[in-house]
Amino acid sequence: MKAKNQIKSTDKHIVNLAEIVGGARSILYLKEDLVAYDCDGFTIHKHLPKAVVFPKNTQEVAEVVQYCSENNLPFLARGAGTGLSGGAIPLNGEIIISMVRMKKLISVDLENRRAVVEPGFVNLMLTNSISDKGYYYAPDPSSQYCCTIGGNVAENAGGAHCLKYGVTTNHILGLEVVMPNGEIVEVGKDGIPDAPGYDLLGLITGSEGTLGIVTKITVRILKNPEGKQTVLAYFDRVEDGSQAVSDIISAGIVPAALEMMDKTAIEGVEAAAFPVGHPKDIEAVLLIEVDGIAAGIDEQINQILEVCRKRNVREVRAAKNEEERARWWANRKTGFGAMGAISPDYLVQDGVIPRSKLPEVLSKINQISEEFGLRIANIFHAGDGNLHPLVLFDARIPGESKKALEAGSQCLKVCADVGGTITGEHGVGIEKREEMRFVFSEEEIAAQTDIREVFNPYNFLNAGKLFPSPGRCVEIKKELKAQAKIG
Amino acid sequence: MIGAESMSALKKLLNEEQIFRDEAVFNPYGNSGEVTVYPETEEEISAVLKYANSNKLTINITGGGTKRGFGGLMEKSGILLSLERYKGIVEHTPGDMTVTVKAGTPFNDIQDYLAKYNQKISLDPFWPQMATIGGIIAANESGPKRLGYGSARDAVIGLRTVYPDGKVIRSGGKVVKNVAGYDMNKLFIGSMGTLGVVSEITLKLRPLPKCESLVLVSFPQGKMEKIKVLAVNILDSMIEPVTMELLNPALANKLAGINSYTLALTFEDVESSVRYQEEFIKNILPADADLRIHSKEESESFWSEFYQHIPNTAAKELPAETEASLKIGSVNMSILNVMKEAELLIDLLNVSIESHGGLGHGLSQVTIRGAAEDVADAAAKVRQIAESTGGYAIVKHMTFEMRKEISVWGENPSYFFLLQGIKTKIDPLKTLNPKRFVGGI
Ligand SMILES: Cc1cc2nc3c(=O)[nH]c(=O)nc-3n(C[C@H](O)[C@H](O)[C@H](O)COP(=O)(O)OP(=O)(O)OC[C@H]3O[C@@H](n4cnc5c(N)ncnc54)[C@H](O)[C@@H]3O)c2cc1C
Repeated sequence: MKAKNQIKSTDKHIVNLAEIVGGARSILYLKEDLVAYDCDGFTIHKHLPKAVVFPKNTQEVAEVVQYCSENNLPFLARGAGTGLSGGAIPLNGEIIISMVRMKKLISVDLENRRAVVEPGFVNLMLTNSISDKGYYYAPDPSSQYCCTIGGNVAENAGGAHCLKYGVTTNHILGLEVVMPNGEIVEVGKDGIPDAPGYDLLGLITGSEGTLGIVTKITVRILKNPEGKQTVLAYFDRVEDGSQAVSDIISAGIVPAALEMMDKTAIEGVEAAAFPVGHPKDIEAVLLIEVDGIAAGIDEQINQILEVCRKRNVREVRAAKNEEERARWWANRKTGFGAMGAISPDYLVQDGVIPRSKLPEVLSKINQISEEFGLRIANIFHAGDGNLHPLVLFDARIPGESKKALEAGSQCLKVCADVGGTITGEHGVGIEKREEMRFVFSEEEIAAQTDIREVFNPYNFLNAGKLFPSPGRCVEIKKELKAQAKIG
Repeated sequence: MIGAESMSALKKLLNEEQIFRDEAVFNPYGNSGEVTVYPETEEEISAVLKYANSNKLTINITGGGTKRGFGGLMEKSGILLSLERYKGIVEHTPGDMTVTVKAGTPFNDIQDYLAKYNQKISLDPFWPQMATIGGIIAANESGPKRLGYGSARDAVIGLRTVYPDGKVIRSGGKVVKNVAGYDMNKLFIGSMGTLGVVSEITLKLRPLPKCESLVLVSFPQGKMEKIKVLAVNILDSMIEPVTMELLNPALANKLAGINSYTLALTFEDVESSVRYQEEFIKNILPADADLRIHSKEESESFWSEFYQHIPNTAAKELPAETEASLKIGSVNMSILNVMKEAELLIDLLNVSIESHGGLGHGLSQVTIRGAAEDVADAAAKVRQIAESTGGYAIVKHMTFEMRKEISVWGENPSYFFLLQGIKTKIDPLKTLNPKRFVGGI
């Protein structure tokens, strides 16, 4: 037993870090073990970490962080590694601090509608733990069965049901954070709102792990809605589908979710694990969910059916039962992975546009697809204008990864140009550093890095993410493209 | 000091009628300025800031002037920058349900405009006819409907902020979902104007409810335990009130003529849902509680009265009695303790108290009126009460003299160094709203 927990490395940092986290079982440092950590859900860019440590509690995280900062070792936090923008990729050979062993549900307080979790706690587990009492945790990224709430906080993750209930930041009441120098800070004590002072809670949420390492999270939990109904609508023209989206919202309905998939996306989901029989020749499918007081649902569903009919819907109907509803959602929620059924590789993009610009933007994305000779499927949270163009490509064909990256970037340019933004939920990470310039001026980017300097003055924590590095940006772009070729 | 040189410099930046020298010796609420300026464009705001910042002048910022009694240990700055004339709707796309407005726009002006499109900003601040959207955002004002719709941090999607050196920094954008870079909007919401002058605000909107009703449940015997049981039952049920605000007897009496603790539940939804929820409350009503159901019009007028019950420093006349108001944050159910304990101060210190608290969101407010000394004592006691429940209390309203004697924001938090670090990065010369915020920031 004891021998197994012994370190075989002579690197003093590895030895010292192992000591902090309790021996060899809590650290990886051999190359063959590290390759699993050379990227996250953004697989185009790779780099090996120096080591991966698995702390069990806040104190160990703080000690690891303090050790790293005193020894000038770059470091970063990692949850489940499902991030799609490369936030957890150890660009600088970081020490990865994996949060997966800090996965306890610390407490649930139904009376005050909140729960306290460790950062490695998996999103869906929270809802599963409280659903018997009629409660749930609202943010529902499609990756919720495996992503961590710590990762959700870092990325300010969204999901299909964020249209009505808001994204992660709207549900975070308190955080315990290890600062980049090892100091432990608690913001939003006991989940009490509006703590006097600048809103650090809001600032840290969505900071992509560059301001501190989150070690404890107080979240708001909600009571399950009394009633729920989902409508499926098929359109022969994307414009009609988009118009129906606007009409539903303009009718004063606040759907819990309003999702759309285009023809290519439908081809993907129908070829994958959860087909539901969507017609292959349809241009757009809408999935519209209304929830709330049961007595009020029928009225809203009827209104939605009517709106769709006015917009030349081919077929529209409400789910017959919970089983059908669940099938429709499984089909939608596994949409990204489903692209694997029709393409060897795909790149997920994440632009946001004002809802009213939907038809215009979709036709521009079509043009990009034609220009680059790559198919682009569209899956999106239509209700809040969050598009996920999925660029389909084959990495084995030389130059195609690079083309895919460029096509993705062009899609984001289109979003930015119509008054939208470059990411709605997946974050900037490595992937969209340069695209930050589509939406922010040099001065505005500097205003943000100023804030990073307050929290993370020496930039040992997750360096090289989120912001284009001034001067070096051209080089990085070259490097990225070179890597893309290899990847 | 604003000397002749500064005056002539300001006159180069603005027109004569945009500059006003305040001869009043003393403003009872402080936060004033030797010279008041009324910029009409963002360029003018920027020019004034840039001038002040590079000439070591300080600036206080004001909108409708309703919150002059909220924080601040400076009776006067060199310049009082009023956003009163920087107002209007910049952009409204009904289909996107977003609106962009200039900071000096009174809140109700925006709501009235949006109502024509059956839309609204889902905030319910105090004194909405006078308070400007900029001031509401800077002070992070919220009301009882926060339970249903959230607060400023949930509604604001984009800002334009003029930094002390005059540069304009955009944060967020015009779309409802956005994670590009840090969520800088959050930094300025509730920053009390200590980081920059928020000049333009983009908010996401909600549809106006199709039906609304107000259900008042009063407890003549005043038993907190009973109120708690009902509140917990409601929170644990499927119904979705947008307010669940407990009013103390004095406030319930003022607003509804009921002299006992009263729970104000508002329902906003389609009609069938509202009626269903009213029935639900009827069915779980405790034996010794009274119930009144009010129509949409009555609900609106009840709440509009409510929003006028706290002190307003923009009122023309000074109040006859000394007033103070505190905002308290605690876990939801601790509100009952806070309100109950505060009630005891009425006899103990010979003051009058109006208090209310949101049993679903954890914020309460206690307004005290009486003789100056008693009010000060009562305010200090209210803070003790709040802190004993594990919460905090901040002073939302007091005269300048009284503020000097109490710590408006309470003890500095353990992470004060971060707050200070942020302030120093953005406003190193402490040009904007000096000493208005936590720890003298
Ligand atoms: C199939 C699929 C579907 C997806 N669907 C969605 C979706 O619908 N909506 C959505 O928003 N996202 C979605 N994502 C993206 C991803 O799941 C989310 O970004 C998620 O929040 C990442 O969580 P994670 O635990 O995997 O974090 P990781 O990928 O491990 O880390 C992400 C970032 O967070 C930082 N981080 C992690 N833990 C901490 C911590 N404790 N403290 C500080 N920083 C930390 C890391 O350094 C990194 O920068 C999807 C991903 C996949 C693969």
